[in-house]
Amino acid sequence: MDIYVLVKQVPDPEANVKVKSDVELEIENKYFTNFFDEIAIEAGLKLREKFGGKVTVLTVDNKKVDALRRGIAMGADDAIQITDPALEGSDPFAIAKTLAAYLKDKPFDLILAGRQAMDDDAGIVGPGVAELLGIPHVNMIVGLEIDDPKKELKVVREVEGGKEILSCFLPALFTCQKGLNNPRIPQVMNVMKAMKAQMKKVDLAALGLSAVDVGGQAVKIKVQKYLPPPKRPPVKMIKEDFPENVKQLVKLLKEEAKVI
Amino acid sequence: MSNEIWVFAEQQEGKVRRVAFELLSAAADFSKKTGSTVAGILLGSGLQEALKSLTSYADKIYLLDDPGLAAYTSDAYLIHMAPLIKEHQPSILLGGATSTGKDLFPRLAMHLQTGYAPDCTGLTIEENGKLIAKRPLYGGKVFAEMIYLEAKPQMATVRNNTFLVNQNLNKSAQVIPISSPIDPSSLKKKVIGLEKAAGAKLDITEAEIVVAAGRGIKAPENFKIMEELADVLNASVGTTRATVDEGWRDVKDQIGKSGKNISAKLYMAFGVSGAIHHILGIGTCKTVVAVDTDPNALIFNYADYGIVGDLFQIVPALTEELKKAMAEK
Ligand SMILES: Cc1cc2nc3c(=O)[nH]c(=O)nc-3n(C[C@H](O)[C@H](O)[C@@H](O)COP(=O)(O)OP(=O)(O)OC[C@H]3O[C@@H](n4cnc5c(N)ncnc54)[C@H](O)[C@@H]3O)c2cc1C
Ligand SMILES: Cc1cc2nc3c(=O)[nH]c(=O)nc-3n(C[C@H](O)[C@H](O)[C@H](O)COP(=O)(O)OP(=O)(O)OC[C@H]3O[C@@H](n4cnc5c(N)ncnc54)[C@H](O)[C@@H]3O)c2cc1C
Repeated sequence: MDIYVLVKQVPDPEANVKVKSDVELEIENKYFTNFFDEIAIEAGLKLREKFGGKVTVLTVDNKKVDALRRGIAMGADDAIQITDPALEGSDPFAIAKTLAAYLKDKPFDLILAGRQAMDDDAGIVGPGVAELLGIPHVNMIVGLEIDDPKKELKVVREVEGGKEILSCFLPALFTCQKGLNNPRIPQVMNVMKAMKAQMKKVDLAALGLSAVDVGGQAVKIKVQKYLPPPKRPPVKMIKEDFPENVKQLVKLLKEEAKVI
Repeated sequence: MSNEIWVFAEQQEGKVRRVAFELLSAAADFSKKTGSTVAGILLGSGLQEALKSLTSYADKIYLLDDPGLAAYTSDAYLIHMAPLIKEHQPSILLGGATSTGKDLFPRLAMHLQTGYAPDCTGLTIEENGKLIAKRPLYGGKVFAEMIYLEAKPQMATVRNNTFLVNQNLNKSAQVIPISSPIDPSSLKKKVIGLEKAAGAKLDITEAEIVVAAGRGIKAPENFKIMEELADVLNASVGTTRATVDEGWRDVKDQIGKSGKNISAKLYMAFGVSGAIHHILGIGTCKTVVAVDTDPNALIFNYADYGIVGDLFQIVPALTEELKKAMAEK
């Protein structure tokens, strides 16, 4: 199977993120490979173990290639970085367009992505790429069963109140989330190998795209203003002894917070 | 472009989700400012009850009742919705940030080449009909007000419990049945089954009240006391990644960065330490209660009310106390 995994290096959830100005953020320099993308890589590697073939990790980024290194360290065969100054200012749709332009003439059987990137949290790129390539997608999968890549496969997505089982043929795109698998921890040897690996670089011209297709000129939606999160009032500790504290809590929920 | 605000009236098994009523109520408010018509778009099969529940909430309902739409797939919904949107050109299209909304909207937006703001926690409208969508970024460490450029409709998915349902809209919608027979064999995906989760509780993203226990609950069987507490409050039971990784609870109930974001009216956490990964999932809850044996637990920094105590003592007592309080109502 020829499998492509879309990966992104994102600020670690523990990184500090603050509003610097109306249109600018200050982000602590603490990045990791998007958690859901590691799940996607793992899913790709498992399928390769079963059916043979190749797993390629692919990112659009002008600076950070550590997600590609992570992919290689985990066991991916190939890593591609799409990079071009004209990509600056891109929205998720432009990123999807760029990825689809790269993938459209590749012999892929399956494309895997994360449920969402843990920074913008948009969840747009996966379904967007599938739409542009005209292949089916299923979002937020927690199960994937392929017996034969030529035949109908089964995929499970979580819905409110249960799990839905769908079937479709390849090629397809799935976005992965927790519950699908537990990503492997790469061996030290492989991490070292990945540090030295050469990434293939691709620019927009090679994809037949130009500056008007992506970047700031193509945006459909933009940030007008960043805001800090609403402040919570300081916690009220209920200091009475048990069971008075429980009575007091119920009273506060009823009379002060008015939520029960 | 028409001056219509559309709400995707998502239904499952013939029952319209509450978030759709929340959004229709918000749209009714917007329309006072913009003079818009509020329309619901309802897709499925066997929709009599669903339609009846909606008519007092919208001015118009576009109805696509077709056996081919019995189960949701993005292909089938997109084939039906896209031409209708192109024909009527609503200025706004809203949907719930549900598993279906998050599956359909990004693809539909790409198809229509228009702007889409996902997972919003607020919407406002200007008199000229321009939508401002507020959404959390970086798991809620910052928020962004998003504005749309030229393309229409302005699309957004919105979290459950962001708006209140207004039961007094008293509209009587004009129903517009749409027939668009498609050849089901042309679709690339099909739903072959639904495994229902055990129990009748709402998903944690939909529940107005969520009670959660973390590793402090010590063993999976101890969640029984959480279920009992939840029953009194008509709440759902959430948890942390720690218990999910232990195999004690299903990942569908995990709150936080690698689980779900909840916007409950009341969130109560027991034996949850308050790691940032967890806290990021509760940022838009209105009232937060924390109970932990450790007075320095981080969770207290994010709570409105806190008790330092043993959950095995507090939870059963709270259940009893709440039973009394609910009976008095
Ligand atoms: C060069 C560049 C310049 C940018 N400039 C700006 C800017 O000026 N202003 C601004 O607000 N934002 C900018 N962005 C951010 C951009 O709009 C989004 O972050 C975009 O990368 C994807 O949206 P998302 O993070 O919400 O992804 P989601 O849609 O949440 O991602 C879902 C999944 O899609 C895949 N994916 C997402 N992004 C990528 C990627 N880059 N490469 C490969 N796979 C991916 C991953 O599998 C991920 O799990 C820029 C991004 C790039 C790469
Ligand atoms: C990339 C990444 C993503 C993550 N995503 C998530 C996520 O989505 N959601 C999530 O929850 N976590 C997530 N985590 C994990 C997170 O960092 C914490 O490890 C986790 O939230 C801790 O769970 P906990 O509070 O149940 O356990 P602990 O941290 O072990 O806390 C247990 C608490 O119970 C208290 N306690 C013990 N006994 C009692 C008692 N009898 N009565 C009352 N209190 C008691 C203790 O004092 C303690 O505060 C993620 C981590 C990473 C690295």
